[in-house]
Amino acid sequence: MKPLRTLCVVLPLLVLMSARATSHHAFSPVYDSKRTITVDGVVTEFRFVNPHAMMLMEVKNKAGKVETWNVEFAGRLNLEEAGWSAESIKPGERVKVTGNPTWKGSQRMAFVRMVRADGTTLEPGRAQRLNAIEEERRQRAAKRTQSQPTPGRGK
Amino acid sequence: MWSDPPPTAVGTFCFFACTDAGIERLNALMDDPANDARPFPELQTEASRHQRDNYLRLRLTEAALETYPLDPADDPGFLRCEPWGLAKQMFAPHQLEIRRTGIDRIELRYGEWEAVRTVHLDGRTPPADVGPSRLGYSVGRFDGDTLVVETSGVAAGITWWDSRHSDQLKVVERFTRSEDGSTLHLTATLEDPWRLREAVVAKKIWRWAPDQQITPYDACEPATEFRKGTREP
Repeated sequence: MKPLRTLCVVLPLLVLMSARATSHHAFSPVYDSKRTITVDGVVTEFRFVNPHAMMLMEVKNKAGKVETWNVEFAGRLNLEEAGWSAESIKPGERVKVTGNPTWKGSQRMAFVRMVRADGTTLEPGRAQRLNAIEEERRQRAAKRTQSQPTPGRGK
Repeated sequence: MWSDPPPTAVGTFCFFACTDAGIERLNALMDDPANDARPFPELQTEASRHQRDNYLRLRLTEAALETYPLDPADDPGFLRCEPWGLAKQMFAPHQLEIRRTGIDRIELRYGEWEAVRTVHLDGRTPPADVGPSRLGYSVGRFDGDTLVVETSGVAAGITWWDSRHSDQLKVVERFTRSEDGSTLHLTATLEDPWRLREAVVAKKIWRWAPDQQITPYDACEPATEFRKGTREP
C-alpha cells in the first residue's frame, strides 16, 4: 500500500546543498538525490548521534494503516555546527518531512526539509552557508561593475 | 578547537579538500559575469570536475586509473563502518583539535570517526620496523609558526579524491594559522610511487570554533540497502 506522499523533482539547489557532501559516506548508493518525497506524520524518536542522526516517525498510508518511516540526517558533528541540538525535534511532534527516497522505495529518506505544525521550518545548515556565499557573490559582482571604466570618460 | 571553514565560496569548495587548480577554476567562474545568475552549487560542481579531469586524473598512474573513481558503494566506511585511513582522515570535515600532550608530542583529534593521531616532535626518525597502520606514523617540527608533520607507514587505503593508494604513501602536512588566528590552513603533499605519477598538493581550511566539541561517534550502522553506479558528477 502506498503511503501518503508527494513525488516531485528536486530543486538543484537542494540536491547540491544537502548533507551528503559532508557525511562520512556518500548518500548516493542509498538515496536518489534527483527526486524528493514528502510524508506527514508524528515523530516517535529522534536520535542525535554520529555519524548520522536518525528520526523515526509514524505515517498513515492511504489505507489508514500506520507505517514507521526512518529519516536519515547528517551527523551530530555536522548538525551542531548549524545550531541543532537533541531538542531540535521532539517525539510527539506532527511534522511534514521532505527528503530523497531510497532507490528501493523503502520507508526511509534522506532529510531535506521539515515543516512543523506551526509552520516553522527546519533545514540543514547548508542553507545558511549558501545564503552567505550568494551575498559574497553579489558583492564580488558589484566590485567588478565599479572597477569597469565608465564609457566616454577620460582617456 | 577548529571546525568547518568560514561560509565563503572557497571555504565551501574546500569543505573536504581541494587543490589550487580547483580554486582557480572556481574564482574564474565567479569572475565571469556570464555566470552571475547561475547558482553557486553549479559552479562548485564545474570547478570540481575541472579539478578532477585537469589536475587529479593527470597525476594518477595506470594502476590507479584502473579503479578511479571508486564506486561510493565500495567505500569500506559505508559498507562496514571501517574508519578512514590517513589519506581521507587528514581532510575530515568538522572538528579538529590540536593538543599538546607532552613536551615533545602533540595529538591531532578529529570529530569524524573520533580519530586520534600522535605526532612526535623530538626529532626522531620513524622506526624501521613499524608496520603499516591506518593512520601511519607521524613525526613533526615547527618551521617558524608552521607545524610540519611527515607521515609514513600508512596501510594501503583510499584518498579523499576516491582513488586507491599503496602502503608506500608519504604525506607532508603544513598547518599555518592566519594572522588574526581565525582560520587554520593546511597544505598537504601526497606522494605514492605506485599510484601517483607526481605529488598531489591538496588544501583545506578550518575556522576557529572554541564552542565546538567532539561528540561520541558510536552509532555507525553497516549499509543494508544500496546500489552501485550512483556516483554524482
